[in-house]
Amino acid sequence: MSLFEALGQMDSISIGLWVTGLMLVLVVIGVRVAFAAAMAGFMGLVWIFSAKMGFDRGVLVAIKMAGTIPHSKVSTLSLSLIPTFILIGFLAYHAGLTRALFEAAKRWVGWLPGGMGVATVLSAAGFAAVSGASVATSAVFARIAIPEMLKLGYDKRFAAGVVAASGTLASLIPPSAILVIYAIIVEQDVGALLMAGFLPGAFSALVYAGMIILMAKTRKDFGPPVTGYNWAQRFESLPAAFPIFFVVGIIVVCIYGGVGTPTEAGSLGAFVILCIALKKGMRWNELKGALMETAKLTVMIFTIIWGVLLYVRFLGFADLPSAFSDWITSLDQSPMMTLVFILLAYAVLGMFMDAIGMLLLTLPVVYPAVIALNGGDAVTAADSAFGISSVGCSIWFGIIVVKMAEFCLITPPIGLNCFVVAGVRPECSVQDVFRGVMPFFIADALTIAALVAMPGIVLWLPELMGLS
Amino acid sequence: MSSSSRVLGDDSYLSKIDRLFLRLETVLTLAGGIVIFLLVFLATANVLGRWIFSLPISGYIDWVEQAMAFFAFLGIAYTQREGGHIRMDMLVGKIQGRPLWVTELVSVILMLSVTLVLIYGSFLHFLRAYQIGDSSMDINLPIWPAKLVVPVALSILALRLILQIWAYSRAVIAGGDNPIAVPLIEDAAAVAAAEAKSLLGQDEMGEGK
Repeated sequence: MSLFEALGQMDSISIGLWVTGLMLVLVVIGVRVAFAAAMAGFMGLVWIFSAKMGFDRGVLVAIKMAGTIPHSKVSTLSLSLIPTFILIGFLAYHAGLTRALFEAAKRWVGWLPGGMGVATVLSAAGFAAVSGASVATSAVFARIAIPEMLKLGYDKRFAAGVVAASGTLASLIPPSAILVIYAIIVEQDVGALLMAGFLPGAFSALVYAGMIILMAKTRKDFGPPVTGYNWAQRFESLPAAFPIFFVVGIIVVCIYGGVGTPTEAGSLGAFVILCIALKKGMRWNELKGALMETAKLTVMIFTIIWGVLLYVRFLGFADLPSAFSDWITSLDQSPMMTLVFILLAYAVLGMFMDAIGMLLLTLPVVYPAVIALNGGDAVTAADSAFGISSVGCSIWFGIIVVKMAEFCLITPPIGLNCFVVAGVRPECSVQDVFRGVMPFFIADALTIAALVAMPGIVLWLPELMGLS
Repeated sequence: MSSSSRVLGDDSYLSKIDRLFLRLETVLTLAGGIVIFLLVFLATANVLGRWIFSLPISGYIDWVEQAMAFFAFLGIAYTQREGGHIRMDMLVGKIQGRPLWVTELVSVILMLSVTLVLIYGSFLHFLRAYQIGDSSMDINLPIWPAKLVVPVALSILALRLILQIWAYSRAVIAGGDNPIAVPLIEDAAAVAAAEAKSLLGQDEMGEGK
């Protein structure tokens, strides 16, 4: 028997495993993730089809099938949301909203113990409402919040840690590009996922704030509260930060109220921020820069989406996801235990991989397994393992996984947010930032545990919208 | 984990072609950005028109779906040139010199091979739509232009990959740490610092200082 015949006689699950193994090798040697996935997917299709209909026809069918995917997968209406969210993020810097927000937060909550830390967390959470990117949020707040904290006598490690951790809030609070990508891959409603991120994002911010207040209460020389603002000064600080509330309002009204699509909400938000940026003095050169950056990031995200979907198309033929699901559900332990192991695996993987790449590569196999763990595709809340319906489970798992991926942005060895803060503030070494961010690991672990134990935090808003 | 990497240049042919080609890629990427900009206006006009005058734009969905291929593909070669497609640099970040350039060369050759396959496949996809005169659901826009964008953009990517094969081959022969016309690998700290710097430049302008 020749090698070719042997390859042709392999069952589809073995083919799936070999091709997936090949893809992982490609990813590890540094082939761009989108192309590693596309290549594996194409080779898998060739393998499956030539086993069925001979090599020559098999290759042609595989080429034709692969050739339809980039265009057809990219021209999906719900994906049009992504560039609008990215554009909002790049324009937000020009609109000068960050300083206004920080000033307002300082005047409103600065009197609390550890008040500047709390103000940083809350203003970063507010800024997250116009920015979908953690790293960018950390960079901006490192510039404006750290100097003020140092002036007041806060520990530089703590100040750096607060900023690095606060940046992670951006990925849950809408608009979040990563939640849109999750929704596309698992074929769930984009609006429901965006809304679902709202409460967990706010919850994370409150846990951070609580942690800071506790630290300020228990440690000596922590840093003084900022007092002395009267109510008139507090209200004066609001108008400059108003556009943020406006954009949040638009997104909530559009999606929650069902009066517009998420893309329309994103576009309206981008339009408003653009007007403010123009008023603040942005001109063609800056706009051109923002458009180039937006286009580049958009291409990056779309390329990895179609690349991975080419691999997913092959997976569908190879039955690998269902085989993995069968194996996961047959494990001799409670479904919750299995879920915890899956999340821990993400925590480890996230230390070495970019969040978007990690989620896109793993979800096609892991997501069906999690749904199967819960009891399958059409399970009701009463019959399920986690006490939530299958739609609820997909939203809930999405939020937890994204929170997990963000958690990895502040963990060594390559917690990008920490490197960014250290890059912006020469007086803080990377070690300082990692040390300072440590308490927030605990806060995040508590948040993740709470989200896992109480799916209601995630599902309350989408359920109010009648979406799950 | 890569966003934007440094690309070195000198006065060799390779570097000249690289920079000339970059101009084309920049124009295409900016065109993609402008399509995004127009999308924002279109969607805003659509939602406002519907709210205020109960008059949505006819064929809005068709226009958006046709526009998407443009911003999703036009910048694909530029993103490759700038090292903007994400990858895992755990291994390649550890090695240096010739072994690194050999790995990069292999990786780019593999990318080129899958790109060539997709150029052919997506061209067939375009050809079918063109020959049967396929059009969109609502207002019958022809679909072929959006489908043609894919093989065209991928062909430009293929040319960029061939340039990179040339550049990495040169680096394999010459050795050393600073090859031209390819994105250099930087550690997380350098990437973060560069990114922060570009953002802060913008932020400062935004604050009007």
